[in-house]
Amino acid sequence: MSVLGKIFTWWDGATIGTLLNSWRTGEQVGTDAQGNRYFRARKTPAGTNERRWVLYAGANDASRVPPEWHGWLHGHFVDVPESLLPPAKIWEVEYTPNATGTLGAYRPQGALERGGRRAGASGDYESWTPDS
Amino acid sequence: MPKVTVDGQEIEVPAGATVLQACELAGKEIPRFCYHERLSIAGNCRMCLVEVKPGPPKPQASCALPAADGQEIRTDTPMVKTAREGVMEFLLINHPLDCPICDQGGECDLQDQSVAYGRGGSRYGRENKRAVTEKNMGPLIKTIMTRCIHCTRCVRFSEEIAGVDEIGALYRGEDMQITTYLERAATHELSANVIDLCPVGALTSRPYAFEARPWELKKTLSIDVSDAVGANIRLDSRGREVMRALPRINDDVNEEWLSDKGRYMVDGLTRRRLDKVWIRKSGKLAEASWDQAFKAIAAAKPGKNIAAIAGDLVDCETMFAAKALLGAMGSTLLEGRQTGMDYDVSNMAAVAFNSTFAGIETADAILIVGSHVRWEAALVNARLRKAVKHGAKVFVVGPEWETTYPATFLGEDVGVLGKLPKDVSDAFKGAERPAIILGGAALAKGALAPALAFADKFGLVNDGWNGFNVLHMAASRMGGLMLGYAQAGGIADIAAAKPKVLLSLGADEVDYSAFDGVLKVYIGHHGDKGAHAADIILPAASYAEKDGTYVNTEGRVQYAEKAVFAPGDAREDWTILRALADALGVSVGFDSFADLQGAMFAAVPALGEEGLADLGALPKGDAKAKADGVITYPIKDFYLTNPIARASAVMQQCSAELLHGDDLAEAAE
Repeated sequence: MSVLGKIFTWWDGATIGTLLNSWRTGEQVGTDAQGNRYFRARKTPAGTNERRWVLYAGANDASRVPPEWHGWLHGHFVDVPESLLPPAKIWEVEYTPNATGTLGAYRPQGALERGGRRAGASGDYESWTPDS
Repeated sequence: MPKVTVDGQEIEVPAGATVLQACELAGKEIPRFCYHERLSIAGNCRMCLVEVKPGPPKPQASCALPAADGQEIRTDTPMVKTAREGVMEFLLINHPLDCPICDQGGECDLQDQSVAYGRGGSRYGRENKRAVTEKNMGPLIKTIMTRCIHCTRCVRFSEEIAGVDEIGALYRGEDMQITTYLERAATHELSANVIDLCPVGALTSRPYAFEARPWELKKTLSIDVSDAVGANIRLDSRGREVMRALPRINDDVNEEWLSDKGRYMVDGLTRRRLDKVWIRKSGKLAEASWDQAFKAIAAAKPGKNIAAIAGDLVDCETMFAAKALLGAMGSTLLEGRQTGMDYDVSNMAAVAFNSTFAGIETADAILIVGSHVRWEAALVNARLRKAVKHGAKVFVVGPEWETTYPATFLGEDVGVLGKLPKDVSDAFKGAERPAIILGGAALAKGALAPALAFADKFGLVNDGWNGFNVLHMAASRMGGLMLGYAQAGGIADIAAAKPKVLLSLGADEVDYSAFDGVLKVYIGHHGDKGAHAADIILPAASYAEKDGTYVNTEGRVQYAEKAVFAPGDAREDWTILRALADALGVSVGFDSFADLQGAMFAAVPALGEEGLADLGALPKGDAKAKADGVITYPIKDFYLTNPIARASAVMQQCSAELLHGDDLAEAAE
């Protein structure tokens, strides 16, 4: 990310203002497998909930937050996930963000992007070629 | 003429009419399953019950009861209604409730009539329904015999109309089963008509099984092109596909039957289709654009060296458009008789079926010369059977084939025509309405002149009767002859004229080796022999994809409508010829289909009027004319006679199983 990009765009990672604010008022509590950094406010005024936020490594896409950190961000967990949740089992699939709009998006069976052929329908015909 | 009273309305009915017919005349609808106008009366479904006085105080089956003078018939009393409801309840004891998965759904007599006479529920809840095993009736007829209500229409059709003992009934009462004997396939050319006759879903169409529902189909009135009978059909289409063809009622042509080929070749409309332009480059066909094709034809600079050969399936408009194009170029090299026949066409009456199909039923002596009528015109064969039932004698010159009525074969040599055995000539001398039917095989052997002499000798033309008949095989033949698609020497004349460009209008039976070095332009819809031989292929529309005029072998002008659009780049034939005229720099004088038809009607007024064309009087025969030679029938395989049928998977299966099934069985052993 170029310096100009950092100044003028907002969609890849945090903006300069957010970075500054995170450095000034927040403290990092952890990172997830994708490199997203999770912050909480250093000071929490009495009678309010603790402020928690995330700085994305890459595109600002909320679906990139894995479920355990989602729980922490939304105040379901008191402490960071590592301290509460059991360690990941070997059979657990790695979290994948929503792929809509990307090449990895789900295509139904028969979709042309998946190299599929649709089922026959009325009006289909078989054209002649000289070799047939 | 007995006078009867139907529901208080007094009407006069023809002598011999039944009570059911009397009620119909009075405009009362009588429910029925077994009764059918064209079949004998069975009287076994009992649905047509009415109250008749005088008579026993109980409901009577109206279909089997003759109408007598002074009868008082009631169709609307509570007794009649209850009686019919009782019959319906009996029928539904064993009829499965599978309408949602039944192909007859939506066009089922039982379904319709149960709306009026069915009970809301069953009183047989604890009893099992009778189950009947499926029967094998071949590749066209699918059976679900549990649905059968024992009306025996199919049995009567096979025996009476088709004339073959293929379908019959086994066992009695509730256990009765309709089957083909020994589970053989029904092989008759009209076999699929039992599907239309079946009032329920016991016999349904196998190729059409689970394909569509009747209410989602677009119905288009059309004309069958599988033979020269010109059967009136209805094309049922969904989207761009013709799903099925059904006969329409026309008593003059096909009554309400249709040959299996006309009915089931429609699946060929979706196979082997020409949908792009092809041009032969260094011996190999390559895809091209319309522009390139027209330029290539124009580059050949045909001038007046251009010829056209019409195929068997084309409509009159296409032929006229090609004729107009050739006329503008200064050529008259037109021919439609693809196999090289060169019979004299100076008099159209001499090459038409003058008796008419309805008329041939009344003939009392019939000589068939060189025609396998069963295969060349299955519907005419049904008419001949009717004639025989009325007492006609039938004699056949030509190799033996399996007739569906008693017939005497007089040998294979067409020379028999000049020296008929005494009993045959006696039969014709004594006949009031003698007739001759001349087939294509006889025309090929030059039997036209001797046949005309035969007509003179035995008085085949007398007041109100013309017994001289030519039975063609191609739907386009009569139209083509009326439009001048005939050279004196047949197709050999075209080859001898050495044209630079040959327009082939769907001609697939031509021997193209005679046209080596000619630029062959194939305008057609199926990739068959013609397309393989062609130098340029222009994709055109089949009979289902264009409006058109057809003339059947009687000289009956009939119009067909466009059911679906042609696939891919294919265009209606006349538009191709119109565009070609521009490319060749000539004017053909029409810019729209209406213009084209107008010009055609102006040129040949007979085509402008639906119905029998007036073809004039039969010419005098030459008593000295002779023909000889052994007749060989041109049709080798009933199911594969035209490019659409050859492309059809159903027709191929029929040919393999019904005609060559024995060979297959032998090979398997």
